[in-house]
Amino acid sequence: MSMNRRDFLKVSTSASGGLMLALNLPGCASVQTGYEEETGEWKANAWLELTTEGDVTFTLDRVEMGQGTYTGLTTLIAEELDVRPETIQVRFAPVAPEYRNPLIGLQLTGGSTSMAAGWQPLREAGASARWMLVMAAARVWRVEPAECSTQDGYVKHPNGLDSMPYRKLVELANREVIRGDVPLKPRAQWKYIGQQVGSRLDAEAKSTGTAVYGIDVELPGMVYAAMTRSPRYGGKALRFNRDRIRAMPGVVDAFVTERGVAVVADRYWRARKAQAALDVEWDFTDAIALSNEDVFEHYRRATNDDPGENERVEGDVEGVTANAEVLVEAEYEQPYLAHATMEPMNATAWYRKDMMEVWAPTQAPDLGRIAAARHTDLSPDQVTVHTTFLGGGFGRRLTQDFVEEAALVAYQVKVPVKLIWSREEDTRHGFFRPAMLHRMTGSLSGGQLTGWDHQIAGPQVLDWYVRNAAPAQYPWAPKFLYSTLGRVGLLVEGIATPKDISAIEGAVGYPYNVPNIRVRHTHTDPGVPITWWRSVGYSHNGFAVETFMDELADKAGEDPLDFRLRMLAEEPRHRRVLERAAELADWRQPPPEGRARGVALFKSFGTYVAQVVEAGIEHGEIRVYKVVCSVDCGQVVNPAIVEDQMTGGILFGLSAALYGDITFDNGEVRQSNFHDYRILQMHQTPEMVVDIINSEESPTGVGEPGVPPVIPALGNALFALTGRRQRKLPLKA
Amino acid sequence: MPFKLIVNGREHTLDVEPDTPLLWVLRDELGLKGTKFGCGAGLCGACTVHLNGQPARSCSTPVEMADGGEITTIEGLSSDGQLHPLQQAWIEQGVPQCGYCQSGQIMTAAHLLATHPSPDREQIVTAMTGNLCRCGTYPRIVAAVESVAGGVGQYQPAGEGA
Repeated sequence: MSMNRRDFLKVSTSASGGLMLALNLPGCASVQTGYEEETGEWKANAWLELTTEGDVTFTLDRVEMGQGTYTGLTTLIAEELDVRPETIQVRFAPVAPEYRNPLIGLQLTGGSTSMAAGWQPLREAGASARWMLVMAAARVWRVEPAECSTQDGYVKHPNGLDSMPYRKLVELANREVIRGDVPLKPRAQWKYIGQQVGSRLDAEAKSTGTAVYGIDVELPGMVYAAMTRSPRYGGKALRFNRDRIRAMPGVVDAFVTERGVAVVADRYWRARKAQAALDVEWDFTDAIALSNEDVFEHYRRATNDDPGENERVEGDVEGVTANAEVLVEAEYEQPYLAHATMEPMNATAWYRKDMMEVWAPTQAPDLGRIAAARHTDLSPDQVTVHTTFLGGGFGRRLTQDFVEEAALVAYQVKVPVKLIWSREEDTRHGFFRPAMLHRMTGSLSGGQLTGWDHQIAGPQVLDWYVRNAAPAQYPWAPKFLYSTLGRVGLLVEGIATPKDISAIEGAVGYPYNVPNIRVRHTHTDPGVPITWWRSVGYSHNGFAVETFMDELADKAGEDPLDFRLRMLAEEPRHRRVLERAAELADWRQPPPEGRARGVALFKSFGTYVAQVVEAGIEHGEIRVYKVVCSVDCGQVVNPAIVEDQMTGGILFGLSAALYGDITFDNGEVRQSNFHDYRILQMHQTPEMVVDIINSEESPTGVGEPGVPPVIPALGNALFALTGRRQRKLPLKA
Repeated sequence: MPFKLIVNGREHTLDVEPDTPLLWVLRDELGLKGTKFGCGAGLCGACTVHLNGQPARSCSTPVEMADGGEITTIEGLSSDGQLHPLQQAWIEQGVPQCGYCQSGQIMTAAHLLATHPSPDREQIVTAMTGNLCRCGTYPRIVAAVESVAGGVGQYQPAGEGA
């Protein structure tokens, strides 16, 4: 859908007489919102506000969780408005349909979409505002607007001497009309986009302890809550030693909720101490009772019984398989993974008559509103969600269980309440990256890969997500319809909700030129709660596809790099990152003694990433020495942030490759804290080289694409080192 | 029983239960939210403060253990509106991503530089490796500490034993 500037921007005057640019939803919105179109009067949907005092405020409609939207999207505005990025004040957007992610249809931050979605409209908003200011100045000076220029918040007179600050022009600029033909700056004039300038705009707040995260929210008379959830997902609390708990010091209230037993106290530590004294009787009728072995057994049976949905078919895989010279088969097992954000799940809520306010580090404030309203007498539009900085997200905070909990406690206690999960609760009661099973069959004839057959078994994330997402798309729907909407959302997949590609993403986009290809998905769900996890399907498909490519290269007796390159003749962007990474990693030279290299290539979220890992085994432990990464994400807005997201993604992937494993024992998660759900530490951090392809293609996301290739690249390096192929994660020395 | 704490140079008397972790006293009684809760078990370092000149995991330090002690938090690291050189370096190098662990990282680094003004890379890594970062900002943390190493003069952690 193309949007004309005239259609989606509207101008108005702020209460203080400033200039306001707001986002106007196009009439052909794909989702029926139920909201009346606002006209003229500015509401909560402003993007950009310039005041007569000289303040420039940008409303950031994507959340900041470390991935850099706060800096990156603000840079787009700054570039076209022609002000220095650090002079723009950033505020987090409230919930409004205008702030929905146009690529998703919900107000959420995920899928590495922010830059891709914001690239054009935000620059156009900045350019339109600048143009109105220039027009206003030209009228004052009685000169041609085209002869005026701007610099750092000033419009400059054609005479080169006079200038006027934006703040003096905003009232006049209000009278200008946006036309559809405001040109964007040519690339050669960019001062901030693609330049290595300045720091991240949130760096100072985050280096002085002043950035406000969800856990830092403070309200008058606030109390604290701890929630004890069923040790096995799906269990229900029946009763508990309420009298004893309520008599404990500082305890305000204690009660059974839909989510478990809530203990509320005047201080957080007192809530925790009272929680420790809880004796809860559970009803495990609907609780899961599985162990890890059951999960993969379940997948294997499903894979045998159900060939699954064909997601991509080219040529005749079965025919070529039957006649293959060499048939290679492999099965890959990948475990459940936790997100382990450094800031544990938390939310603060305050219920008053006919309204509720929620403060939350959430990736999806409009879904948070649904979750908050769910167990109250409120409708979603009576819930206000204030988004804070997020201490990590990685997909975990797309699921709104933590908001739902805080809201239902607040509804009971009627005073502001902050609910904070312990690290143990955060690890055990997460929504996880799904465990998946992959069955691969490759046909080789004369050293050529002639057939690729990939069967994926496992659940779909959307099944767990629609519970809040479907009602959020229809916020006018009465609450008794929520569960129906959740089911309908699934039934009419592709209409009300997008097709769920979470299980197959990265597998259907298999880039190698093979004449016979089949990719199938056997949809099966063992009942463990799941959600998105930094790169989601690409993370497990990346491991399966790129490990199996390595196995096939080995069976074909060919260098794994050459084997891949040969089949990428028609994929120049894939080829280029692969060649660059190999060259920078000295692929053609032997590695140092005791080390081996592995390579992997994966495109995700529109971004191409190739990585070469150099690894060895020292004192019985896997040691990663070096990772070379080449990335093509189109036009780069902030090179430092691209580099950060690649190195961060590499370390995130290595944590999964080396340690990531959430295991179940009779329905209970075994892991609890950072000692048994480990993440990479500084002393394990390899040397990392990030090469960014200079590109003028439209920008694509970088938050996630650094993750998928590193896991197979490490596995492939270990195979080169030991000759032993590992088909199960995490990898072992 | 009231406890006495000297936090960022100011004395406070607090009436809290003796096993209350110092972290919650700093955050909820004194309103110093810069110190973060990460794991509650001394495993991640997000809650690192200086207690009598030593880095301490405030999430697993009962307030009674800190009684009478001098404490420096991230809010007390800069003085007179002047950022600590490490904070300056953190900003210049663009270290923080989500930023949640960075108060603890900076407090650990500040103690390192206070005791070893010119650490080499190995010393930096050894001192810092107990502080976890899920975003993976480790390379920029090392670069930021290295950029300051050898140049820190003014800041000394409060209390003895540094």
